[in-house]
Amino acid sequence: MSQDFHQEEVLERPFDPRLMRRLLAYARPYWPMFLLSILLLVGVAAAELARPYLIKVAIDEHLRGWAQKDPAARQAATAAVWRLAFLLLGLQVAGFALGYGQSYLLQATSQRIIFQIRQDLFRHLQWLSLSFFDRNPVGRLVTRVTNDTEALNEMYTSVMVNLFRDLFTIVGILVVMVRMDLRLTLVSLAAAPLVALSGYLFERYSRQAWREVRARLSRINAFLAEHIHGMAVVQIFGREGREQEAFDRVNTDYLRASMRQLHIFAIFRPVVSFLSHLATALLVWYGGRAVLDAEIPLGTLVAFTSYIRSLFGPVEQLAEKFNILQQAMASSERIFSLMDEVPAVQDKPGAIEVGRLRGAVEFDHVWFAYEGENWVLKDVSFRVEPGQTVAFVGHTGAGKSSIMNLVARFYDVQRGAVRIDGIDVREMTQESLRRNLAVVLQDVFLFSGDIASNIRLGNTALDDEAVVAAARAVGADAFIQRLPGGYRAPVVERGATLSHGQRQLICFARALAFDPAILILDEATASIDSETERQIQEALKVLSRGRTTLIVAHRLSTIQHADRIFVLHKGQIRESGTHQELLAKKGIYYKLWQLQNAEVRTA
Amino acid sequence: MSRDLRELLRLMAPYRWRYLGGVAALLLTDLLQLIIPQLLGRVADDLEAGRLDLAGIGRYAGWIAVTAVAIAGLRWVWRQLVFGSARRVEYDLRRRLFAHLQKLTPEFYHRHKTGDLMALATNDVQAVRSAAGEGVLMGADAILLSTATLVVMLTQVDWRLVLLGLSPLPLLALFALWFGRVMHERHRRVQEVFGDLSEVVQESAAGIRVVKAFAQEQAQIDRFTRENRRYQETYLRMARVHALIDPLINLLAGLGFFVILGYGSTLVLAGRVSLGDLVAFNSYLGMMVWPMLAFGFVINIIQRGTAAVRRLREVFQQAPTVADAPDAQPLPQVRGEIEVRDLTFRYRSDLPPALEGVSFHIRPGETLGIIGRTGSGKSTLANLLVRLWDPPQGTVFIDGKDICTVRLRDLRQAIAYVPQEAFLFSMTIAENIAFDAREHSLEEIRAAAALAQVDSDIMSFPRGYDTLLGERGVTLSGGQRQRVGIARALMRQAPILILDDCLSAVDAATEARLLQELKGIMAGRTTIIISHRVAAVAHADQILVLDQGRVVERGRHDELLERRGLYWQLYQLQQLEAAIAAEA
Repeated sequence: MSQDFHQEEVLERPFDPRLMRRLLAYARPYWPMFLLSILLLVGVAAAELARPYLIKVAIDEHLRGWAQKDPAARQAATAAVWRLAFLLLGLQVAGFALGYGQSYLLQATSQRIIFQIRQDLFRHLQWLSLSFFDRNPVGRLVTRVTNDTEALNEMYTSVMVNLFRDLFTIVGILVVMVRMDLRLTLVSLAAAPLVALSGYLFERYSRQAWREVRARLSRINAFLAEHIHGMAVVQIFGREGREQEAFDRVNTDYLRASMRQLHIFAIFRPVVSFLSHLATALLVWYGGRAVLDAEIPLGTLVAFTSYIRSLFGPVEQLAEKFNILQQAMASSERIFSLMDEVPAVQDKPGAIEVGRLRGAVEFDHVWFAYEGENWVLKDVSFRVEPGQTVAFVGHTGAGKSSIMNLVARFYDVQRGAVRIDGIDVREMTQESLRRNLAVVLQDVFLFSGDIASNIRLGNTALDDEAVVAAARAVGADAFIQRLPGGYRAPVVERGATLSHGQRQLICFARALAFDPAILILDEATASIDSETERQIQEALKVLSRGRTTLIVAHRLSTIQHADRIFVLHKGQIRESGTHQELLAKKGIYYKLWQLQNAEVRTA
Repeated sequence: MSRDLRELLRLMAPYRWRYLGGVAALLLTDLLQLIIPQLLGRVADDLEAGRLDLAGIGRYAGWIAVTAVAIAGLRWVWRQLVFGSARRVEYDLRRRLFAHLQKLTPEFYHRHKTGDLMALATNDVQAVRSAAGEGVLMGADAILLSTATLVVMLTQVDWRLVLLGLSPLPLLALFALWFGRVMHERHRRVQEVFGDLSEVVQESAAGIRVVKAFAQEQAQIDRFTRENRRYQETYLRMARVHALIDPLINLLAGLGFFVILGYGSTLVLAGRVSLGDLVAFNSYLGMMVWPMLAFGFVINIIQRGTAAVRRLREVFQQAPTVADAPDAQPLPQVRGEIEVRDLTFRYRSDLPPALEGVSFHIRPGETLGIIGRTGSGKSTLANLLVRLWDPPQGTVFIDGKDICTVRLRDLRQAIAYVPQEAFLFSMTIAENIAFDAREHSLEEIRAAAALAQVDSDIMSFPRGYDTLLGERGVTLSGGQRQRVGIARALMRQAPILILDDCLSAVDAATEARLLQELKGIMAGRTTIIISHRVAAVAHADQILVLDQGRVVERGRHDELLERRGLYWQLYQLQQLEAAIAAEA
């Protein structure tokens, strides 16, 4: 959704050997591939270089003094040039095969490396604690795992190997040139620094301009999407004229940015070709004199005019590689800093693998804060016996949800202890603890997939019958059967096509299917129609049977039958007891109850 | 010429002189580019023949340099003219599209998904720009360059050499055509799968509590691994084609060089072709590679452009379903009498009626409450009153005038409407409240906000009324959004106020307070309150109970309770519901 918003500003970073070492470490297992790729490149480059050279040989050795008068010599020369031609053809075919193999090999290798980085990153992300997810918006994490890793692709394909190719090509051409004639080589190179510089500058400016264009375009798109959504409002309020003006503004902004980008291209491209032509002119001027003075043969000059163009290509690209490298540094820094993130909640060495728990929950003088000294729970103590249903009520921010988070050990307490069946939750492995829990959250969360897979989650031990049985028990079966496809009905967009109550019932079925020792229910605050509310209450009765049930309640009417109700206020338990006992106390609970009833009366 | 192509050309027509200038510059560039190899060939010939002195060489070098300057300048010119025009075509098209979208009614937006419309505004507009830019450039360039090169070759170089040397090149055009299509398709697949991959990460991060609570980490990792692998495979499917491009071009062009080297040299040796010709042809051949590829690419670009034009035309051809009749009447000084006579309405002719036989009459200044369950037709009624959809002729009257015959602008001006979903825009709160065609002072805005019980909420933000909403700003709670929506409607000072179930997200206490405050405003106006809560309509002069599009009960609150019908049932159920904790 707001992915663009979370794009960080820093997109480039100077070369950092530490990051580079880690990037290279991922490439290490594939070194034979890279080596092979380089070898193939050498072959490709050789085949490419051979073309002007073969033509030079043909001219200087066989065509010089062309129009041979002597038939025998002519025949010999013809045979010789044909041999050269077939050699050229053979080299071209070989060059094709090697070039294709090299290019594909490189992509395949790079994708494997990126696959691995992505795997490691996602795996690491999954085991990070909730406190991490509280701090980092979802959009940013998605960008890390997908876009930032993808940005490395260019690094592995273009830089790792093609850098060698460019260098190799440059060196190769230089060697051939120098062997033919040193002075002409120097003349040819005169413009090279300018080409490299303009290449570098162009990359810088064009990237900036490009970023600007994309930012403006995404503003247009955001504007459009919003107005398509809210078109009725625009029309009802007669705002069409002013919205058209607003649209023209973002559209014009985009046009301007786009024109700026065009300017940069329109200047740079001609400049580079101009420089290479200029070098050619220089070469003709200088080389022509040398030919005239019979210092070099004509073929050499002709070959040089060809080589000049092959030389400037890679020089220009070196600048581009440099930029890719800078971007890869920025991406990899973000990737590795995420990988270096340490989970706040960890299994102790030798943590106990608990089996089925009975479900006795105990808070023993628990102090807890999400950060620093902002205590959310202050010295909270209570006990819940196995099989009991207890409810927590209180204002927003009273600490109700935090209690649930601690039972599931999403966070660790700062002081005191949370014990289940007498064992500190920090002594258990997180997995074995949570296998004993089922949590139904306020904002019911459905995964894409189908209804059955949402009830089953990853628990393949649950067969279809168990899934249906769970759904039937909580009263979800009827509406599921009515969906097109029944239990196989696809869940799209987090279940947007289902009503809130239906989603809640699916989550109940999910919880029941897992048959937990402890059920944690964070009641929905959103208004549900009375019919659904009744269904949910029925389902809850089934669900809580035979297990410890902890409910965060927002409606006092729904928890009157709880074995015990805890009233939380500012992080402390202020009252506890059954509904009747608490009413008799005439304390906070009584006031809450009065207030809610008063609202009923005003209605 | 196809209709789509004609339409594409029409879009470009305003810039025809720029295009012509651009193509002319391009032509000159191409011609000048041909000169350089020719100069090189002459140098070779003259040197070989010993015809060249130092001054001559200097002249040649000078000519090459001058040509190079001219080429660079002309290239700048055609880029500006051709690509610049394409960007203006894009601008115009997008502007026209938005203007048209603003005329279309909810009926259209119901039939077209936002995603599809967005694709139209991004991908298709982009495709038109490509056709108007790269398409024009490559097309012109390919034609000019290949013709010019061919002409020069044929006049300068032995025709047999030319024919043979060029024979492998049409393969390049075919290859480019094939390559463009296959790559387009495979690249699209890669993007799709990339989207799926992002979706998995998005979901597992957004649902991390569920993942952890049910110890599903490994299952998520397995799921990610599958998608990650699928992405890798899809990417490599693209790479398999993509890796072809450079090597295959080299090979196809290489075939030409093979012919030159073998056959060309033979001709030279036979004295039928000069060595200079051979050298020049060697350069010319390289120049033919690009236009051949361009032919292939340009066909793809134009095809994509015309397909985009076709899709865009479908939208442009949609006429707004609600519009002023040619003889639409003005609606001055509305008193606020509303009458609905036997109104039956269907959203589509093949759907069951959303409203059936609904009639009521509200005198100016009275309040009408409409209550009913979800899907009972409450909101449809509101939509018809502001003519988001047109009611049938002769069914809805304001001040005795059929609303279908009055000017749309006047009608909407007379109604302050608070829609069910308080849709706010990504602008400041002040701008959202003053969302009107007129200018408003901050005092007016604050007054409206205060009436809607949201002024103190807004003032608690550090930037107050200048707080930016939306993705790049603050997210309001559902209740705050609805109250801002009410303030926005109150700004209109209209004689008719319609509240369409707009209090669902505020708690009961705030709702009661709000309705109390609004009483003052409602006193002087005709008000329609639509709700599913009894509390919201209880005080109305008249209450309609809607069920499945029909009025099943009507009367005042106490009358309806006495009847012990649907209204009474709703009341009973909602007494329980009203116990929903307002977080005390």
